[in-house]
This record gives sequence, C-alpha cells and structure tokens, in this order.
Amino acid sequence: MFYGKATDQATQERGECGGAVTAILTAALEQNLVDGALVIKRSESIYDGFPFFATTKEEIAEASGSLHCAPTLSAKVIKNYLDGARDTRIAVTCKPCDARAIVEMGKRNQINMDNIYMVGVNCAGTMPPVPAREMIRKFYEIDPDDVVKEEIAKGKLIIQTKDGEHKEVSIDTLEKEGYGRRKNCQRCEFNIPRMADIACGNWGVIGPDAGQATFIEVFTDKGQKLLDTATSSGALTLTDAPPEGIALREKLDGIMVKMAHKFMDAQFAKYDGDDKFEKMFADLDRCILCRNCIINCPICYCEECFTKKDYVMAQGTLPPEPMFHLTRLMHIGPSCVDCGQCEDGCPAEIPIAMITHMVQTDLQKATGYVPGRSLEDPIPLSEWEEVQE
Amino acid sequence: MSQAEAAQSSEQEWEPRILTFCCNWCSYAGADSAGTSRMQYPTNMRIIRIMCSGRLNPMFIVKGFLSGADMVMMLGCHFGDCHYLKGNFACNARMTLLKPYLQAIGINPERLYWNQISASEAIKFKETMENIVKKGKELGPIANELGVHAQGAGAQTSKKTAKAVAEDSFS
Ligand SMILES: Cc1cc2nc3c(=O)[nH]c(=O)nc-3n(C[C@H](O)[C@H](O)[C@H](O)COP(=O)(O)OP(=O)(O)OC[C@H]3O[C@@H](n4cnc5c(N)ncnc54)[C@H](O)[C@@H]3O)c2cc1C
Ligand code: FES
Repeated sequence: MFYGKATDQATQERGECGGAVTAILTAALEQNLVDGALVIKRSESIYDGFPFFATTKEEIAEASGSLHCAPTLSAKVIKNYLDGARDTRIAVTCKPCDARAIVEMGKRNQINMDNIYMVGVNCAGTMPPVPAREMIRKFYEIDPDDVVKEEIAKGKLIIQTKDGEHKEVSIDTLEKEGYGRRKNCQRCEFNIPRMADIACGNWGVIGPDAGQATFIEVFTDKGQKLLDTATSSGALTLTDAPPEGIALREKLDGIMVKMAHKFMDAQFAKYDGDDKFEKMFADLDRCILCRNCIINCPICYCEECFTKKDYVMAQGTLPPEPMFHLTRLMHIGPSCVDCGQCEDGCPAEIPIAMITHMVQTDLQKATGYVPGRSLEDPIPLSEWEEVQE
Repeated sequence: MSQAEAAQSSEQEWEPRILTFCCNWCSYAGADSAGTSRMQYPTNMRIIRIMCSGRLNPMFIVKGFLSGADMVMMLGCHFGDCHYLKGNFACNARMTLLKPYLQAIGINPERLYWNQISASEAIKFKETMENIVKKGKELGPIANELGVHAQGAGAQTSKKTAKAVAEDSFS
C-alpha cells in the first residue's frame, strides 16, 4: 500500500488528490499497455460528467478531478460502445459499482476481461446532478455554478467556490431532507473497489501529504503492472503508506459499511410485513413499460428478452403484468450490484433499485453469493451439476 | 345448485388448487399407476406434463402462482434416474434458489414443493397429494399474499376469506 502522486507538477495540481490516477492512465497509454482510457469527463459544469474514451495524453489530462455528481456506469458503456473490449485494451477508472458491474459482465462473457485494466477509485457515494444543484442553492445559499470542487470528508459535504471559499454541511442533514447521495449509494457497502486491479482514494492519507496524494492499494498482477509502468516511466512517485494511514482507511471504510447497513434496514422496512407483495406492487404498478431499467442494467444482456414472449405475459397492457417485474427480479436479482442505473432512468420514479437490492440481499443470505466480489465466484445456478445429494 | 348455495359451500369448504408439474418419464407414470390401481387421492391438483423436470423454467412456477394456484408442486425422477441424465439436478438447483426468491417477493416458499416420485411409487404419489392438500389448507388462498394480483380473486374479494377463489381459473 502506497501514497502516490504524479511527478509532473501540472498533473498534480489538476488532479483531485495529486493526480496519481491521471499519471497511471497516461503512463499505461504511452507505454502501450492499453489503447485508451475510459474516463469520466466534465463538460459544462461539475454537474455534467460523461463517459469518454480518451486515446491521447491530453484527453486523459482533461478528465482529471473527481466528479461526485456523475452517477454514470462505465460497464455497459464498454459493452455497447467499445465492443465489450473484444479487440481494444482499455484502462477504466471505476467506482466500486463500476468495478462490480464489469466483473459481473465479465463472468457473462459480455466484457473481455483480458483487455480490461480496472483503476478503481474509492467512493462514498455520488449525487444526482439536478437535485444537487437545488441542494447547493438551498443549503449553501450560493449559485451552483460557482462551485468548482466538492468533496465528501468526515461526514460532511464540503464545497469550494471559485473565490476559494469553503462551505460545509453534514451529509446527515442533507439526507434527512431528501438531498445528498443517491439512495443506492446510501445503501452501498463497497467503498473500496477491492475487485479492481488497484484502488485509489484519499482515505488514509495523513500528515503533510493529506489531500495532496492518493492512497493506492494493489490487488492483482495487472494492478502491479500498471504501477510498475507508471513508476518506471517516471510519471508516478510512490512512498510507502504509514501504518496509521492504513488503519485510518480501514476505520473509515468500517464506519461507512455500518452506515450502509443502517440505511438498508431503514429503506427496506418500507415493504416489510405479510403483505410485502402487495406493497411492492403498489409502487411497481406505476410502470409504463419503457424498459429503461432493462436498457441501463449491466446484468441484463439477453438479445431475446423473456418478457417479450406472450406466453410469459400479455403484451401491450399497462401496467405490465407482474411477470414483467418478477422476471427481472429473478434474472438479475442474484447478481444485482445496486448501481442504481434502473432507478435513475425510471420515469415513474419507482424505487426499483431498492426493490432489486432488497431481493438481492435476501438471495445472498441463501446462496452466499456476493455480486461482483470476484471473478472466481461462480454465478448462482451456473455450476448446478456439482450439487448432488 | 343455486349461485347463493354455491357461494356458501365454497366458503365453508375451501379447497386449495394445486398446480403439479410432472416429468413425463417417472412422476407422470406414477400418477398414472396411482390411477390404474384405483387409489383414492384428492382431486385438487391439475397436472401439467413436461418432458423433464429440467425443462421447468422457474418463472413458470411464479406464473402458476399468479394464475391462481395456491400450491405449486414439481415432481421429477429420482437422482440418477433422469431420462436426460442431469435434468433433475438442474431442477434441484433451481428450486433451492427459487425458494428464497419467493420469500423475497413476499410469497410463502412453503407453497412450492419439490419431490421425486418414480413410476412405481403410486402410494408415494397418493400420500404426497394428501399431504400437500393439507398443507394448502393450512396456508390458505394465494390471494392472501398476492392481493389483487391473484387471478381469479379479483379486486372486489375481501382478503383472508376462502371466497377469494370462488371462480376457479383452472377448471
Ligand atoms: C464519486 C467519487 C467519490 C469518491 N469518494 C471518495 C471517498 O469517499 N474516499 C476516498 O478515499 N476517495 C474517494 N474518491 C476518490 C478520490 O476523490 C480521488 O479520485 C482519488 O484519490 C484519485 O485522485 P487523483 O488525484 O489521483 O485523481 P485524478 O488524477 O484527478 O483522476 C481522477 C480520475 O477519476 C475519474 N473520475 C472522476 N469522476 C468519476 C466518476 N464519477 N466515476 C468514475 N470515475 C471518475 C476521472 O476520469 C479521472 O481519470 C472518490 C472519487 C469519486 C469519483
Ligand atoms: S426425465 Fe424425469 S426428471 Fe428428467
């Protein structure tokens, strides 16, 4: 475990925490380890982040900095627009949900894992862009467009304006009022992407380096290769992380996991009781069958959708027969990574990610399968032949 | 029987409807042999014959519940006897996942029953049927759980009454 920062002064300054990620990506590209980097790039403002496939050093540099209001998911982008990395070698910056989704898609042969380098970034949550603007106006009383940087630290959302002013409000306050992180991020117990090749983040960086360097943990040989490439080409400077820093990072992670469990219990309680089915369908019956949840879901990939068969459900009725939702829940339930893309895309505002996540946690209790944790865990039912009594 | 009488009797003597999937090679033959041996067993079940228990898509079971079945039963060959060698292992694996799934969506997993009955086990078939009907009566109508989404129940029927299934969508 290391502290890392870009050797180059300009990259250091542009970067969120010393520009280590940018340096690693640039070195990988220049040393021909990858053909390009899939990054999240800022457009008009910090509320506009979009996935971008950078193939030059300059393009990677443009994407430096963390965008906390970019609830994008890179996994399906790789499949839909980069041909599932069949012939392109890609380094991708991924939050834990990105990484888990990529792993799940890799297991289903939708992404060629041989060509993927996952540069993980720790994540304590993202915010939906439009409500975030509203929140800045309401709680910080400034123009959202004046914000140049936001950061989640010590349970507070800290923003920095273009005049260099810092303002902070506790996340608790924001979330009690219905703002702050997305609901699925509140429930997320994966803050450090341990399934990626490396994980980078500011947690655990203490002393004079605090805020100026990135804590890097390596998990795989590929990750080691990324670091070696970056250090040998002189792009990245590494120092060993002190034990207190490592302990602090673990502690912060532990706090977040505990909070996530509290949020899960609180949110799932909505459907508790003997009439769970009816309560769930009170929400699900708002569905207008736009299929956005299917289009956005990283786990859904069938060319021929089961729900389009008329022996499964009547076609052309609204709300769709319960078989529509129940099929989704059965097909993706065991592997849901709770990325929240379905809920973000739902025009009827059905808490669909929450329902799917709820089913997933129940199935996890029964099967022990943790979605996206590792490429080695077999997907439930994929190895049934071995189960004999 | 007048309609009023029919309604009254269905209230008194509610009978669960049991959807039974039987594999062609063992369990269906088991049912057959129970029939030819003139065994008396409850008439609550509607049998659907499938070629192998491995053919059963778990969603068919869910669809069964939504169509008004109070219990769904899957009967296949014993391990090692499957006509297609491994179909019943696949079925077994699916059932172990389907039970927690049913629980998760708010259907009592005890409403699903999976067992293995061979062609010669007419007595086991009969006894299974009797037990399942008993269990079904204990659990009550599926409409208790599915509410308005249970077919044949209809929005107008009040909950927790046996009347919920007065109109049998199977018959
Ligand atoms: C939403 C979010 C929340 C975070 N929360 C924490 C936290 O709680 N604790 C912690 O230790 N670290 C967190 N981080 C990581 C931290 O902010 C830095 O990204 C990390 O330290 C790397 O800094 P750097 O200077 O090396 O990165 P840079 O060199 O500035 O590069 C940042 C890279 O991140 C990518 N990126 C930016 N936004 C996103 C996004 N939304 N999704 C995916 N990739 C993105 C960019 O493409 C860019 O390549 C978070 C990052 C993000 C994106
Ligand atoms: S043939 Fe009977 S279970 Fe496969």
